[in-house]
Amino acid sequence: MSIRSLADLSVMIKDLLNARFAGVLLLVILSALLLGGCARSPVLLESTKTDVTPQIELTQVPFFAQTDYQCGPATLAMVLNHQGVDTSLEQLIPQVFLPGRDGSVQPEMLATVRRYGQLAIPIRGTMDALLRHLEADDPVVVMQNLALPAFPMWHYAVAIGFDLPNETLILRSGEIERHTMSFSRFDATWARTQRWGFVVSEPGTLPEGVSAHNALQAINAYEELHGPIAALSSWLAFTDRFPTNPFGQFALGNALYADEQPKAAQDAFESATQLDPTMGAAWLNLAILQLHSGSTEEARHALNQAAEREGESQSRAQQLLDKL
Amino acid sequence: MKTFRAYLSALLIAALVFTSLPVAAAPTAPQEMDVASTGQASTERAPVELVSTQSVLAGDRASADRERINDILARADVQDQLLKQGVNPDDVEARVAALSDAEAKQMAEQLEQLPAGAGVIGALFAVFIILLITDILGLTDVYPFTR
Repeated sequence: MSIRSLADLSVMIKDLLNARFAGVLLLVILSALLLGGCARSPVLLESTKTDVTPQIELTQVPFFAQTDYQCGPATLAMVLNHQGVDTSLEQLIPQVFLPGRDGSVQPEMLATVRRYGQLAIPIRGTMDALLRHLEADDPVVVMQNLALPAFPMWHYAVAIGFDLPNETLILRSGEIERHTMSFSRFDATWARTQRWGFVVSEPGTLPEGVSAHNALQAINAYEELHGPIAALSSWLAFTDRFPTNPFGQFALGNALYADEQPKAAQDAFESATQLDPTMGAAWLNLAILQLHSGSTEEARHALNQAAEREGESQSRAQQLLDKL
Repeated sequence: MKTFRAYLSALLIAALVFTSLPVAAAPTAPQEMDVASTGQASTERAPVELVSTQSVLAGDRASADRERINDILARADVQDQLLKQGVNPDDVEARVAALSDAEAKQMAEQLEQLPAGAGVIGALFAVFIILLITDILGLTDVYPFTR
């Protein structure tokens, strides 16, 4: 909605008669010329054009119409209910809406998903990644600036499909259940938020195509809220997907240990040290578990490794060595 | 507010220092015994705490304690800001708790600048015309009637 009252209309007419109108018009033409350069169609990788299914529409994603400024709660209601989480707009509004800002901010969007026991994983900010997520049956919450950087109109919507030959994206957006938009228009509005978007997944599963870095941050944030035992299945899924990521093995080790599986935890820490011999914290945790199980000589070796690496683990490893 | 904050941080620092003392001191004694005498320790009585996933992911920090204080202050700050933004006091605590450390820090430092998705724009005439044209050019998506 742009013109909300009669008062606005009368202001419009007054402005129309204003001598400055010419100036405004000039500005418009100038800015249109300046911005015209950005109106190109977003570049999709050749591989995306050839590999991706031409038409996708996740019709099963439920629709919740936004009321007033509440596109944040509405998009969350759509993706959470799609995940099988039973929640409503009434429940979500007090959890994510900021009355003073007439909107919802990104960190709280992610945090609210976690409150419902789901992982919120930011996606790579490219049209290719977006289409791939849709192809893999994951609706994507996207943040757009529907207007211009100088007069922003921030908006959340849920991308649910696309038509590749026609270059259109399909969204559940605002009050429109099936909003279609050309790739180029969508990408122009999406680029103004640095192409921010996220997918939601059940703990213990990872959506196709998420980056190791984003998945790691998301599981870590989930663990902060729900604890390592609740995060264990997700760390297992993570190490399954990214077996050579040393940090994943390290985090898995901690979760296994919290779940009282010290033997498996020790193996995970050992993998972490093999994948990244410079990771002092992994050496230290490995040494501590080796001490627990009575393998003093191995522990001494691991402690020596930890004591060589700069960082928080260094001094702790040295202390333990001194006691051996 | 400033003095209140100064007192609060002093209090927090003192509290953390005092509470961490016994925690830091306690595990070392059984640790020495365990390793020296039997060389074995039951996992229930973990002699040394493992390095946590969160502390490593947060990167190299000069001091874990200082980081904890910053985190607590950041969360107190976010709580204040949410209340100021009109969030119901009953909801504030759970909302702050749901944020990760990184998100809490981001909220504390730049809530004012963070874009808030709303999907509505106030209408100024000049803006209306500009957006109408950019809509027609396919750069924006403010007025659905342009298509």
